[in-house]
Amino acid sequence: MIAEIFTVVYAAAVFAYVSWNIKKGSFVVDPSKLVLYLFAAFLVIVGALYFMGNDLEGTALAVMKIGAAGILFAGVPPMIAATIGLFRFGDEYGSNIFYVRNHIAGIIDTVSSLVMIFAGILILRIDLVAVGFFFFLFIPFTGGALANAYYYVNQRRSEK
Amino acid sequence: MSEAAFLSAVADTVFFWAALVFMVAATAAGLGAIRMALKGEAVTSLMGVGAFTTVAGVSLYLISLPELFNVGFARDTAIALLVVGSVGTILFARLFRTGEKS
Repeated sequence: MIAEIFTVVYAAAVFAYVSWNIKKGSFVVDPSKLVLYLFAAFLVIVGALYFMGNDLEGTALAVMKIGAAGILFAGVPPMIAATIGLFRFGDEYGSNIFYVRNHIAGIIDTVSSLVMIFAGILILRIDLVAVGFFFFLFIPFTGGALANAYYYVNQRRSEK
Repeated sequence: MSEAAFLSAVADTVFFWAALVFMVAATAAGLGAIRMALKGEAVTSLMGVGAFTTVAGVSLYLISLPELFNVGFARDTAIALLVVGSVGTILFARLFRTGEKS
């Protein structure tokens, strides 16, 4: 029961923080500092549990898995925002709405690949990291190729 | 139960639910991508299919993890979807761009 309550509280905290970032439009805490704070918290928690007489490796792996869960929770608000955007921006906004949809599809791709990379690092799955990184490299080319194709198709259509 | 065993049980529970919630959110995004693929014109459909491929690939990769459902074959399908999907999207976008010129 305690694990489920912790899950709900942890998810609510991560959702709130990520949603705050999305609403603000920029980072609430600079990512370079946030990573250091999280790493310091990791060291403090693992060190405290180790000095209480627990196994160092098992404790570190468990805390890293909780961090991976936080990464997965952090991917949920952008996915929901992208879903709302995909359903909201219909054809009534004109032909240039394609570029908005392309941006939203890029957000889905980026969130998916970043979740794969960082969750893979934290649960020590190198194959997940490798596939996520390989996919991450393709995202700008995919978005650029789609926008380029739409631009030329649209231009040809207007010339006819 | 020692603190480490308790922490390990909590970590397993949190990771399971986090992956499940992420997969549900990804499924919702996949439904939006399918809608875009079915309603739009050719390039928009290509974009929708590309986004759906991504979402399906990540969800399949997550269910292949031993921490979750341990479905082994889903990993190969996920890798194929993610790699071939992005490469195929780029190739078909190039075809759409140059194909109507000739």
